[in-house]
Amino acid sequence: MSTFTSFLRCGAIAAAAAIALQAQAADPIRIGVAVGLSGANSVVAPAVVQSSQLAVDEINAAGGILGRKVELEIVDDASGAVGAQKAFDTLVFQKKVSAVIAMETSAARNAALPVISKGKLPYIYTSFYEGRSCNNWMYVNGWVPEQQVAPVVDYFAKSKNAKSFFLVGNDYAFGRGMLDFTKKYIEKNGGKVIGEEYLPIDGSDWTSVVSKIRSARPDALISATAGGAPNVSLAKQLKGAGLSLPYGNLAIDEGTAKTMGDVADGLYMSASYLTGIDTAENKKFVEAMKKKFGADLKTPNELSEPQYEAFFLFKAAVEKAGSTDAAKVTQALGEVSFNGPRGVVQMNKSRHTPLSMRLGQVQADGTIKILETFANVDPGAQCPNIK
Amino acid sequence: MVLLLDLLTTAAMLFVVTAGLMMVFGVMKIVNFAHGAFLTLGAYASYVVTKLQIAPWLGWPLAIAAGVAAGMLVEWLIVRPLYKRPLDAILATWGLGIVIGQLIVMTFGREVQFVSAPLAGTWSILGVDYSAYRLLLVPIALLLCLLLTGLLNGTRFGVRTRAVIMNEELASSLGIHSGRVRFITFSLGAGLGTLAGAMITPLSSVDPNMGLPWLVSAFMLVMVSGHSMPSLLLTCTVFGAAQVLVSTYANPVLGGLTIAVLAAVTLRIRPKGFARA
Repeated sequence: MSTFTSFLRCGAIAAAAAIALQAQAADPIRIGVAVGLSGANSVVAPAVVQSSQLAVDEINAAGGILGRKVELEIVDDASGAVGAQKAFDTLVFQKKVSAVIAMETSAARNAALPVISKGKLPYIYTSFYEGRSCNNWMYVNGWVPEQQVAPVVDYFAKSKNAKSFFLVGNDYAFGRGMLDFTKKYIEKNGGKVIGEEYLPIDGSDWTSVVSKIRSARPDALISATAGGAPNVSLAKQLKGAGLSLPYGNLAIDEGTAKTMGDVADGLYMSASYLTGIDTAENKKFVEAMKKKFGADLKTPNELSEPQYEAFFLFKAAVEKAGSTDAAKVTQALGEVSFNGPRGVVQMNKSRHTPLSMRLGQVQADGTIKILETFANVDPGAQCPNIK
Repeated sequence: MVLLLDLLTTAAMLFVVTAGLMMVFGVMKIVNFAHGAFLTLGAYASYVVTKLQIAPWLGWPLAIAAGVAAGMLVEWLIVRPLYKRPLDAILATWGLGIVIGQLIVMTFGREVQFVSAPLAGTWSILGVDYSAYRLLLVPIALLLCLLLTGLLNGTRFGVRTRAVIMNEELASSLGIHSGRVRFITFSLGAGLGTLAGAMITPLSSVDPNMGLPWLVSAFMLVMVSGHSMPSLLLTCTVFGAAQVLVSTYANPVLGGLTIAVLAAVTLRIRPKGFARA
């Protein structure tokens, strides 16, 4: 063939490649968000969606990730295993997202992991949980018991001279897991657990538990119930019975505390995120949320704020990996960090992240006063078998 | 002592919650599975009272009014057309419960709501400081039982209702307007359901799903007790006591099962349950 024809052919191929590359570059990055829009988590889900939307808006306003816009695919996992199975099948195999960033119940997460393993894509789990869940594709930026329990128990032991503890929880993975760890921690530090009671997850009648607490006379009470309704019914019934011992709640969030009015007054909690955290990043975050959502704003809380950070961690990982290749991004997620409302977050300790934990006390008006901050609490060896 | 108070107050709570369901079941022979939703509706009536910042006690009459209004609407629209098909009517009430729940979510949102309690604090009784509100429920439950028994046994309406309970066709043929009896009974049952919902708010969280756990226990209790209010009171006392004893001496998870297990065992041994003769 003549020089001109081959030149033409090269030109055509180059042009086609350029057009294809162009189309590639304009292709948005789709990130799947599975959350309990119905079911037990339906109370917190709107806040999680808002955090996700703000994160995506801010990322896109700054040019997207590697020049590509980010798109959200939000799916309902019904707060449980069955729903999560369907949600993840949709996200991974039908919508073919590049990653999943999800705040879910432990039941939903455990059902999702096999789908993630089969689909081979990165998964950032943004909820706090009972710990020790491990998968080659998963990273966690929520707290684990090693981080959350210590501030409460230490504070009771030191400031309230508490030696005997009573533990109350709901009978499921989170309740049992948290209190199991709490019991070991208390005993390791010289305290004694004089009672441990569990109620089914939808139970609202704490009568016999309250009576047992009354007769056992512990120095302090610690509870790990499911979020939302059980916290409220337990606190109301404790208050109603006139019990006023120091009470640390391992599973309460700021939003629920506000709705409890004076019933929650005096309650202790430990959290990695509180709207009152006094840093420039947090103030910026809260202002941005208020501006975007106005009167519809759902209070950012421990379950919704880590979702916001996770998007930026994913962005940093993709930029470090140079592409959205699943294996490279998954590798990079363990190396990048983000300075957000909670401080610096880096998922480099066994797929989990050290966190600054704040010990707070609920005031009579529903706000939370930060009593003490424990910086960079280590999550411990959560996944010793994963590199 | 505390155990005894726990027993009595739990029995009182169960009675208050189940009375409405009992009225409907006795007369219409259908179990109103929307009862849980009526409980929730009553609780939200209390929430409205709190929002309007008027006296918390007014939550109760408002709840009754809301319940009666809802009951009248439901009976006319859903239950009456399905009169000849009681099993379908039961299913329809289950669907209704879901609809009411979602309407509440659309109006008030999914979050837990704060409701001020009419009475806070504890009373010292027999050497023990016990929740004042719980103690109050005992005389309230007894009063309710007396009122309803009085209604059924001492009024013309009561006579007509008991006739319909005993034999609807015969009562109809004797000139008793059974349709009207059913209408009034269902509305009354709904009103009692919402009143109960308002009464339990100081003890539980007010959210769209709060009525559901009560529904199962109420259903079991209704199956076992006879057709009279005193027999329902007896059933609630016995089963409530069993639940508290199991929760206290074994564990609360088994306690949650007690009512269901006891109901099954009781019906196996004595199919009439606690009814007399």
